[in-house]
Amino acid sequence: MWSLGTTVTLPAFTVVPELLPVLCQVKMLCVRGLQRLKAIFYLPRNTSHRSLTSAEVLPKDDALLKVENLSRESKKGCMLCNVTVDFKNIQLLSQFVSPHTGRIYGRHITGLCGKKQKEISKAIKKAHSLGFMPVTHKYPEFMKDPRICSIKHLD
Amino acid sequence: MPRYELALILKAMQRPETAAAVRRTVETLMERGAVVRNLENMGERLLPYKITKHNERHSRGTYFLVDFYCAPSILDGLLNHLHRDVDVVRPTVLKKEEQEPKSSGCGPS
Repeated sequence: MWSLGTTVTLPAFTVVPELLPVLCQVKMLCVRGLQRLKAIFYLPRNTSHRSLTSAEVLPKDDALLKVENLSRESKKGCMLCNVTVDFKNIQLLSQFVSPHTGRIYGRHITGLCGKKQKEISKAIKKAHSLGFMPVTHKYPEFMKDPRICSIKHLD
Repeated sequence: MPRYELALILKAMQRPETAAAVRRTVETLMERGAVVRNLENMGERLLPYKITKHNERHSRGTYFLVDFYCAPSILDGLLNHLHRDVDVVRPTVLKKEEQEPKSSGCGPS
C-alpha cells in the first residue's frame, strides 16, 4: 500500500543496490578466475551489509587453490615473435583476416603483441593498395589454412 | 644511395610481349641512373580485384619485383613514365627498409 512519506519496503527477491558490487565481484571471480583476488576475497566481510547465504558468497575451493605463475605467460611472446612480416607473404597475412568480409581481426582475436599486430595491419593495408591481396574477401586457396585466430566460424 | 623496390603489375600478355615490357622498364630505370639489383617474377595470377587502367578492365596480371638503388630525385619522373606505359597496370615504388640483424621480437622488454 503506497502513500506519500512512507518508506518503500522491497520484496525479498530484488537486488539490493548496496550489495550489487559484491555480486559483480563474485561473478568476475568465478568467470575470469583471477587467482590474486583470493586474498581480497577471504578478508572478513563487512558485517553492516545484509548477509547473503554462504553458498552464493564463497566459490568452490578447488577453483582458487591452483595459483599459476602469471609471469610465465608474458615471457612466451606472441606467435609471430621470430617471424618477419612482409606484404608479399599474403598467405600469412590472410590468416589474420576474416574469410567472409576480409576485415582485419583485432588484437583480442589474433592474440598478437602490439608490435606485431601493427606490423601485420600495416602490411595488409599495403598489400591491399599494391594489388597483392583482396580487400573484401580472402583468396579461396587460403581458406583451408590452419585457423590461428581465436574466432569461431559457423562453417 | 637508398634502396627501393618496384612492385610492378603488368597486363596479362604473351611471353614475348611481357619480356619486352620488362626490358623496357628496366632500361628506363637504368637510363635514369638506377642500379638494378634484383628482378623477381612472381608469376601471372588473378588480380585480387578488377583494376581499370588505360581504359581497360584487367582481371589477370603478371607480378614483378624490381630491387634497385637510385637517387630519390628520379622517382617522380620514373613513376610518371610508368603510369603512362600502356602495358603497366599498377606500378608502386616502395622504400626498402634496412633489416636489423637482431630482430628481438616481441618478448618482454
